[in-house]
Amino acid sequence: MKRKTNSFLPITFLIPLTIGIMIGCKPKFDIPTPDNGSVDASRYVAIGSYITAGYADGALYYEAQSVSFANLLAEQFKLIDGGNFNIPFVPQNSNGVSVIAGNTISINAKSTLVNKTDCKGITALGPLKLNPTENYGFFSANIYNSSAPFNNLGIPNTKIFHVAFKGYGDVANNPSGNFNPFYQRIASNFATSSILSDAVNQNPTFFSLLIGSEDVMGFALSGGISDTITPLSRFNNHVDTIINNLTKNGAKGVVGNIPDISSLPYFTTIPYNGLTIDQAQADQLNSLYTPLGINITFTVGSNPFVIIDTAANFFGFRQMSENEYILLNVPLDSVKCYSYGSLIPMPNKYVLTANEISLVQTAIANYNGKLSAAAQLKNLAFVDVNSFYKQIKTGMVYNGISLNAQFVKGGVFSLDGLQLNPVGQALLTNEFIKSINFMYGSTIPQVDVTKYKGISFP
Amino acid sequence: MKFNNKLILLVIILVPSFYKAQGFQVNLQGQKQQAMGGAGTALIMDGAALFYNPGGACFLNKNEINIGVTPVFAKSAFLDANTNKTAETKSPVGTPFAAYGVFGLKDSSSLKFGLAVYTPFGSTVQWEDNWMGRFALTRLELKVFFFQPTISYKINSKLGIGAGFVYSYGKVNLQKDIPLIDNNGNYGHATLEGKASGLGFNAGIYFAPTKKLTIGLTYRSQVNMKVRDGTATFKVPASLSENFPNGKFTSKLPLPQVATLGFGFKATNKLDLALDINFVGWKVYDTLAFDYENNTSSLLDTKSARNYKNTFAFRCGANYKITKNFNACLGMAYGITPVQNGYVTPETPDANRINYTAGLGYFFGKQFRVDASVLFTALKRKDTNIETNLSGTYKTNVIAPGIAALYIF
Repeated sequence: MKRKTNSFLPITFLIPLTIGIMIGCKPKFDIPTPDNGSVDASRYVAIGSYITAGYADGALYYEAQSVSFANLLAEQFKLIDGGNFNIPFVPQNSNGVSVIAGNTISINAKSTLVNKTDCKGITALGPLKLNPTENYGFFSANIYNSSAPFNNLGIPNTKIFHVAFKGYGDVANNPSGNFNPFYQRIASNFATSSILSDAVNQNPTFFSLLIGSEDVMGFALSGGISDTITPLSRFNNHVDTIINNLTKNGAKGVVGNIPDISSLPYFTTIPYNGLTIDQAQADQLNSLYTPLGINITFTVGSNPFVIIDTAANFFGFRQMSENEYILLNVPLDSVKCYSYGSLIPMPNKYVLTANEISLVQTAIANYNGKLSAAAQLKNLAFVDVNSFYKQIKTGMVYNGISLNAQFVKGGVFSLDGLQLNPVGQALLTNEFIKSINFMYGSTIPQVDVTKYKGISFP
Repeated sequence: MKFNNKLILLVIILVPSFYKAQGFQVNLQGQKQQAMGGAGTALIMDGAALFYNPGGACFLNKNEINIGVTPVFAKSAFLDANTNKTAETKSPVGTPFAAYGVFGLKDSSSLKFGLAVYTPFGSTVQWEDNWMGRFALTRLELKVFFFQPTISYKINSKLGIGAGFVYSYGKVNLQKDIPLIDNNGNYGHATLEGKASGLGFNAGIYFAPTKKLTIGLTYRSQVNMKVRDGTATFKVPASLSENFPNGKFTSKLPLPQVATLGFGFKATNKLDLALDINFVGWKVYDTLAFDYENNTSSLLDTKSARNYKNTFAFRCGANYKITKNFNACLGMAYGITPVQNGYVTPETPDANRINYTAGLGYFFGKQFRVDASVLFTALKRKDTNIETNLSGTYKTNVIAPGIAALYIF
């Protein structure tokens, strides 16, 4: 008996041994502590336009503001002792606020994705503007607080020359196009301060500058019929002014360039040859257009839209060519049911012709040349935002999520087809972090993009 | 203390040549063999010979029923290289089991019949909710059962041959989140579930050229597990349900061939040593494909490259008879992973590994015996998957304590 007990004892040892090892079984990692390198993020200010402000789905609203790349960057900066980042939030329960061009009475709200039935009775998903929950008075209620000035100075629809414009918050400058109600709302002094002066007065230790898109976008979004593209010399001067002022006290920063319009779903969603017709419709259109002798013909299937182009010929219309854009704001019911682009040539304001595209793209390329040169001159971090958007257009995969620049489906752009959704903002944040780490030797971790939403579907 | 020193010395000498094949292979068979690093092709110790070498089962002198279970406690964690965020698995305890029955018409007869039922492949990996890789995988449950009726024939006192027919039955359940959210912020989810079956065989030769040395050679065939009638279920926002129709799918999972050369060596009357060399044909697992019955523009058939490579595997162990009824085992193994760089997935965050094993056995009288074993291993693998771009370091710790009861008659 004695022998049996002794021999069996070691087996019973296996049980506590096993339990002991199981408790210590959980794998552990040595997670590196983020290093700030030469970044001092104690006072970070962000200068920019829509993307910096966190504008999405056609409006500025709380949720989108909270995921602007500037705010996400400020959150990551907290890992390297970054300071507070004050954001001029709109109310959390607001449907969002956006200015209707030239209108100082009413405002727009954000869009949401809903099932819509078109003029042909076909139901499909599409964006629908919500009713505004604010009136225009929202903008004139100034919320500046000198003890907690706003770090996020991204003002939607800001051109480069507006950044240093004193009185950009003064409605008296509206007729000259140098008034912005978004700035009026947060200006330290609506009549005498500028975005730049409000930034410099905070004595920033770090800044981000992502500006320049609006210097072509006014022109591009009007189909090339209104607004002007900011001349390069003026653009260059203002880039220098802004960067010189921001760096005069030794602040470091990051500068981004701007995306080409060919990367934006607003311009690329509706195909130039989206006119799909049957034989009878083709015959009918041919019988009307052929006698004019201006080389407009139709076949079964997809055809280029007919657009107004006064320079084209005596009649002032022609068919589109492959490298031209129809804007996303074209009334689709008019196209589908009321012969827009077929019997009725598409109005100029919904079309960017090859010439207009060329003007826009040339300006963007020149601006980008200046932005990168200016960043290099001052040894600032530089983000090739243009390449980032091109990469999205090509298609990318993040942790198993396939993303591209398609409208709604692509998962990166918001419902306005121009600005990014939270996933896009998170991806952009990581581009900024990579550039900052590269330039300043910091090891700021990237944000986890999977924590951010794409478009919500009903 | 004397025998302990011997065992430790033994292990140190043999370490450089231990291998063990990995992937989603379980390799938990026979407590004694498990305790010896998984070697046993050339040692006839018990009914687990039906698995390790059907050619050796005929050398068992008695009928035997041998039933064992080895709960697997595995915990994986992931450190995202871009964000420094971590995630863990909360996988349930795996319960691989093995049951062997060996019978002869007489104890002395040359022909033995056997039936082995075991779980050679399978695991359940469940990652924590909302982890950063959830669009690649949230859960994979794979269970494979082999039923192996076997005949073993002793040609003479030095040579035995044997073969078993394998019928394989399995279940697979793969889940991941879909990056589409509804208005309440809920993400979509896909569940692919199916049953699979396949056929194969397990054959072996046992040869004892001298009284001290034994040699075993076995071949376990590839088994093609086919999922013919799987069910795909998608939870997506209502407006997208037409894009993700629930329906059938087909898929297949090849279980690799394994060829083994084993050596047994009777060092003393009390000490047995074993060395097994495996060749595992993992190259056959090159693609994980799902063919959906109802395709839409959003739901296309998928083909994910796995590109496993063939691996060699070595295992080694020692069994020491302390008394007539009581024995202790030690073993080690070093395994090269079949998963190549760029192809590491959260399903099987595999890596090269060293297994440490140990075990004890005791005879209660002449007919009843209990064997216990324990296996420990730790894995670490850093990779960026070329399909999902999931990038980071996986760590896995595994501890598998097992126990088996043998009835010999």
